[in-house]
Amino acid sequence: MVEPIFDLQFRLILIGDSTVGKSCLLKCFTDGKFAELSDPTVGVDFFARLIEVDDGTRIKLQLWDTAGQERFRSITRSYYKNSVGALLVYDICNRASFDHIPVWMSEARRQIEPHRPVFVLVGCKVDLAENGGQREVPKEEAKLFAQKHGIFHVETSAKYGWSVEDAFRKVTEEIYNRVQSGEYKVEDGWDGIKTGFVRQKGLDINLVEAEPTKSSCC
Amino acid sequence: MDTSDSECFESADEDIQSDEELPKKVFNKDCQNLLKPNPNYELEASETLCDPRTEESKITRQNDASIKLEIAVKGDNESKNSNKASHSSSETEDICQVTSKINTINVIDDSKPVLSRKENVEGDLCNIKQVEQETVKKSRSCAKTKLGSKISKDTVKFEITPEKKKSKVVEKEKLHKTENNIISSVQIVENEKLKVDNDDQNLWDDEELDWGTETKLESDAKHNISKDNTEEYKFQPSPSSNTPQFNPHIGKKSENQSDNWGAWGSWGVSVLSTATQSVSSITSQLTNVIETGLGAADPEELARIDREEKRELKESLGKECEQDIPSEAPSVGFGLGNLVKLVENTGNKVISGGLDTLETIGKKTMEVLQEGDPGLKKKRAFLKIEQNKPVLSQILREAKERAENERNISEEVYMKKMKNYETLFDDHHGLVHLEALELLSKQCEIKLRNLQNSLNGEQYTEFLETMDQIKELCELPDEEEEDQISILEIREKLKKAVTEMNVQISYDKLMTNWEESEVWLNALNMNICDEKELHQQAIETLAQLTSLAMEQFHKIGELLLIKDRRSTADEADSLVQVTTTLTALIGIAAAKFSEKLNSKICESTNKEISGLITNVFFEAANSSSYIQDALQLLIPVLQVGAV
Repeated sequence: MVEPIFDLQFRLILIGDSTVGKSCLLKCFTDGKFAELSDPTVGVDFFARLIEVDDGTRIKLQLWDTAGQERFRSITRSYYKNSVGALLVYDICNRASFDHIPVWMSEARRQIEPHRPVFVLVGCKVDLAENGGQREVPKEEAKLFAQKHGIFHVETSAKYGWSVEDAFRKVTEEIYNRVQSGEYKVEDGWDGIKTGFVRQKGLDINLVEAEPTKSSCC
Repeated sequence: MDTSDSECFESADEDIQSDEELPKKVFNKDCQNLLKPNPNYELEASETLCDPRTEESKITRQNDASIKLEIAVKGDNESKNSNKASHSSSETEDICQVTSKINTINVIDDSKPVLSRKENVEGDLCNIKQVEQETVKKSRSCAKTKLGSKISKDTVKFEITPEKKKSKVVEKEKLHKTENNIISSVQIVENEKLKVDNDDQNLWDDEELDWGTETKLESDAKHNISKDNTEEYKFQPSPSSNTPQFNPHIGKKSENQSDNWGAWGSWGVSVLSTATQSVSSITSQLTNVIETGLGAADPEELARIDREEKRELKESLGKECEQDIPSEAPSVGFGLGNLVKLVENTGNKVISGGLDTLETIGKKTMEVLQEGDPGLKKKRAFLKIEQNKPVLSQILREAKERAENERNISEEVYMKKMKNYETLFDDHHGLVHLEALELLSKQCEIKLRNLQNSLNGEQYTEFLETMDQIKELCELPDEEEEDQISILEIREKLKKAVTEMNVQISYDKLMTNWEESEVWLNALNMNICDEKELHQQAIETLAQLTSLAMEQFHKIGELLLIKDRRSTADEADSLVQVTTTLTALIGIAAAKFSEKLNSKICESTNKEISGLITNVFFEAANSSSYIQDALQLLIPVLQVGAV
């Protein structure tokens, strides 16, 4: 569960073909767990996690895990709008999923307009390739694609937790930078960035001190 | 008897001339009169007695209802009056009850006696009560007299600061009814410092001797000291006895007192007794005033209060006192002449003796308090640092504010820890599901509007009719007070509704969630469960159930939209069923938690718990309205399916 106190909330959306591993990536990131088998996502699911950036600002990531199935496409499209960042997820062992990335990306761009979302290209299931599986998307190719579009690229394994944190941290930091540079603002009618429960200076210490006595009974 | 003017007091002669006038004068005396080297001391003393202005006392009740008694001695000055006043107060029976709770007493400086105490009687914590009880017991045992102050929700401040040198007593009394504050400050300066035996009894005896031999000095001292009383009265450092001493409230004087005065010698006995009586009455008057409610006030501010006001008050008091003691009046004049002379001669000694006594009291108080409060030394050290600050009372006030702030903060922290419903609803993704459902709903509305705009004529009206029909289908039945349906029934109803809707969702998770909560509730040991945690659990459960409900509504919306064949009527009917069933479940949950909370109710926590119960029902209503909102959001989804 997410701690109640955070300074900012970023809404990120995960998009990509079905079964590329979006939900597993999120479960790994938020729970640290990995499930070999999982049901396909219906519509959209939600995850959340708190991340602290370098200057100590606590950021709550609200993660929208969209269904990759084609039948939900029209529905998930309506969820894009309020996102400030998008993770373009593909399976490194699934060429088609990588080939569809430009479609996902342009779709997201269009829906999120006029805002300019932060993208990160995430290749999943690196562990499969490491264990003798057939890698269909060379790392260099993905990197080139990312460079071409000016986005980050990360290859991950939700099973082993490789670079999962890194993928989300990159987006978060980039968004935070843009917030600080003034490109992103908290706006009415757009939920990409929200302010959270602001910590009151001076209360922090008390909170920490008070913590140990918290769970006394029941 | 005419009410005395302040001017009368200024001249000792006048006062002495008429016996009858004396009592009045005594009452009317102004502090300023005291300043003058008049032999009027006696009279003034009596007044002094009523109010121990010598000290500034503040008792501040902090979070824990702790009261700080701070005694600070400034300068080498000695205050005599204060001692006497305290004696008198202690002597008198029934005068003082300790209402105030004193947990802490800080003494700033032993050597220098300024007593400052701020009393703030507010809460009634158990430990305080205990302290009180102990105090009462102690005071009873050590003397028949009850010592203490009867101050309720008031603040009494007494401040002593060194003023003019040369043995005269300056007494200021300020009563402010409007503000309900009483501040009295007495400033006594004396060149000499007498060494006083620490033994209280001895001390008092010494004083008596001094009085007797040197003069019939200040009525103050004598006043308060009667033989019997002296013997009975001991300055015991028990918090109870200490506390009361500072308090200026003298309710009554013991009947024996008049007899006791005989011991003093032939001089001025009657005067003294009269004065004593007067003092008593004044004191009682003051007590009344004080009890009516005193608010804490800045001593400085109070100091600025019109002298006129003070006088008026005193006059009125004087009048009242007059009526109280008419029988005593005739004897007043006796020995006055002697007294006047003696006063002048021995003023210094008396005062110094009194000061020493005060100092002793302070030290003893410290000792006692330190025994009970290990942290006192720290506080003392802390206060000592700030000693240089101009006004002691300000320090105390700041300390009080600090304490209040701390309390507020701790309450805030507690509230922070206890997440509110909205936060929990958000944590369980209820809010975001609702938002997503809203997005879906909007999308469907847009679709419908586009469609509507493309239609005309008959098609258009038909379309509108369909829309309205669906809306009607989704109207919730009037809340028919269903007799509590069981959890099993709820489960069945939900299952049936889902089947009719023909979407692949399940309320198993939601039901399991509630059943777990129910198990937890049933296994709950009410003896160890804090009502606040129980309340928190209730809110948590409600938020969780509602969040799960939101999730399912959201999923239903999504699945309906991608469903191949729609059957709008069935869907609408099922959704209404789901909605009513879920709100019923919320009601059951709220009732169950409230029932548990209710069992925690006892007299002391009655209000608090009923507040918590109200909150549970409030959040339950909140949950229900979220659920009903969700149904409304689904209407466009249903409508899209119908066209």
